[in-house]
Amino acid sequence: MGLLRYTVRRLLQAIPVMIGIVTITFFLSNAVPGDPVDVMLGPSPAQRQEAAIRAKFGLDKPLWLRYINYLGDVSPIWLSTVDSFPYVAPEYGIDFGRSINYGTPVSRKIKERLPVTLLLMGSAFTFALVTAVPLGVISAHRRNQPTDHVSRIVALIGVSTPSFWIGLQLIIIFAFELSLLPSNSLVMPWNLPPPAAEAGLLSVEFWGIVAAHQVTVVKHLILPTITLGTLQMAAITRIERSAMLEQLSQEYVRLARAYGVSDSKILRKHAFRPAQLPVITIVGLNLTTAFGGAVLTETVFEINGMGRLILQGVLTIDYPLIMGTTVVFGVMFVIGVILTDISYAYIDPRVSYGDQEA
Amino acid sequence: MSTRETILEVENLKTKFFTEEGVVRAVDGVSFDVRQGEIVGLVGESGAGKSVAVQSIMRLVEEPGAVVGGEVRFKDRLLFGLEDETAGGEGAERRERDEMLTDEEMRQDIRGREIAIIFQDPMESLNPVYTVGSQIEEFIELNRDVTGEEAREIAIETLRDVGIPEVEARYDDYPNQFSGGMRQRVLIAMALACEPSLIIADEPTTALDVTVEAQILDLVDDLQDRYDTSFVWVTHDMGVVAEVCDRVNVMYLGEVVEQATANDLFHETKHPYTRSLLDSLPRPDRTVEELDPIEGVMPEAINPPSGCRFHTRCPEAREVCAAVEPDARQSADGADDHRVACFIDDAFDVGYEESLPIESETGGGFEASLTSGEGESR
Repeated sequence: MGLLRYTVRRLLQAIPVMIGIVTITFFLSNAVPGDPVDVMLGPSPAQRQEAAIRAKFGLDKPLWLRYINYLGDVSPIWLSTVDSFPYVAPEYGIDFGRSINYGTPVSRKIKERLPVTLLLMGSAFTFALVTAVPLGVISAHRRNQPTDHVSRIVALIGVSTPSFWIGLQLIIIFAFELSLLPSNSLVMPWNLPPPAAEAGLLSVEFWGIVAAHQVTVVKHLILPTITLGTLQMAAITRIERSAMLEQLSQEYVRLARAYGVSDSKILRKHAFRPAQLPVITIVGLNLTTAFGGAVLTETVFEINGMGRLILQGVLTIDYPLIMGTTVVFGVMFVIGVILTDISYAYIDPRVSYGDQEA
Repeated sequence: MSTRETILEVENLKTKFFTEEGVVRAVDGVSFDVRQGEIVGLVGESGAGKSVAVQSIMRLVEEPGAVVGGEVRFKDRLLFGLEDETAGGEGAERRERDEMLTDEEMRQDIRGREIAIIFQDPMESLNPVYTVGSQIEEFIELNRDVTGEEAREIAIETLRDVGIPEVEARYDDYPNQFSGGMRQRVLIAMALACEPSLIIADEPTTALDVTVEAQILDLVDDLQDRYDTSFVWVTHDMGVVAEVCDRVNVMYLGEVVEQATANDLFHETKHPYTRSLLDSLPRPDRTVEELDPIEGVMPEAINPPSGCRFHTRCPEAREVCAAVEPDARQSADGADDHRVACFIDDAFDVGYEESLPIESETGGGFEASLTSGEGESR
């Protein structure tokens, strides 16, 4: 009944969920009004040309057949049941097909864009947690005192301000008015030109360039991080505060106080750990809102991540692209939920691993 | 027993809660003491102020409550005490006396180290996310000058003492893997392991079923002999009082109405409230129909009845009871240290004998007494 078995079971349970995601994504994106071929060819296409393109992308086949093919292509284990589309060239094992708009395999596009979004989301959630957790704890500790009021107001504003607006304000202030930080073109650390080979691995020069690269990346990240992270920060602050308040009135916290445990240790240990359960839940669930936020943030800051990719896909009715990106977001969300459950079981021994306990 | 030194002295303790509905006088002038090696009971119905009284002793009363008067002395130290009342009277803010312990001293020297507490609810009193062993260990390390290694040994030993089977195997279990009775034992072990001079047990067996309760009471008796610890035992159960207590304080609406040795209390009952409590005790030789519960409910402490606070429910109440408030006095014909706050006792000379019974009581009916109760409390 260990954590490992629990994890494996949760992963197995995720399989039907994934099939569901693929299925729903497939039919939903095909239900989107409009036709990618029309978009591609403009208002008056030649009959023959249209037919050729349909054939090329397999759009001439009936929906059910395309569904079965797709299911086969995206699954890493199954072999395709039906002969694959002509354009299929399995490149990464999981094949989302070829983007109608870009003409390149969707998987390649995703491989290129996903790290950008992961970096953005990672830094946004790090920012949110690093600020929100202490803020919530202090707020609860100094309940109904000025510090608490300030943090509550900040949280309230944060929850109710749309992120794209925050992004635009940040750009106006820090990029245009103050010229402190760049407002666009986030570069990934590994996409920067590597230091010249002759500047040996141990030279000051080499590390100077590496450090400069990191500074560039961080500078580019600051504004998008705040834009995407503010909502999360506000939500987590509120939850952290109320969870800590609840814990502070628990009998076992009163007991600790009665045995002479200091206030700060009560905050840091006795109340803090059990208070993190609702916080983890919120972080796990908020991954979805963060995906949505990523679309807006990437648009505002012209970051070529998953968010912009999915937007591009929708605008051009690029079925394979929409489906591919949606499935990847789905997978990330499922992973997020599983991680949430696992950390739950890690923090709270009362969460059983599903086996009957003695 | 009486020759032993007094370790805890509570003098005219007053604790109020400042709520939106008004000021609740939860503890209103309570005095009692505890001697070395003695188990002192604090008895009364729910809401009598027992728990608040013991929390006040340890200065653990939380907002919106506050200890507002009286004195608590433990050994030679002043746990609580205010400057003498100034001419400003009741409303004036009174300063804490200089020799009163600071919060920090209270935390480091008294809580856990000298006075430990056992809470009422074993299911809620252990932190669910830490192992049982680590929780005891933490308190031992904090309150005894031992290393972590020694603390662990003491914890295991004490857990064995309180009757936890296979202690080593269960040491790293979490509270949810323990039953209610076992958790209560853990809480008792926590208190004992810190080797305090005084343990306050706040209804420690109320949440347990009677067989477990009996085991725990035996255990406490046993351990008390061995460690010679003093106890303040808070309960509403007269049966428990009879079982464990040496001396008893009966509380009603924030006041101590009778104070006696357990033996005297049961055999020489002076106060009608105590008698009512005893009469409402289920006994094997009487059927449920013969049970004689106390009529009505305890009035609210926001606006307590005038005079004797029990007069609204007292079968012996006379008009004088509603007019004059009795203080606890040495009973005229009782044993030494049998104190009672009731005019029936000859220690009082307020004309109880001549006073007329309160009207409703002449009517005698249940309904009449209820309406009269309401009328009097206004």
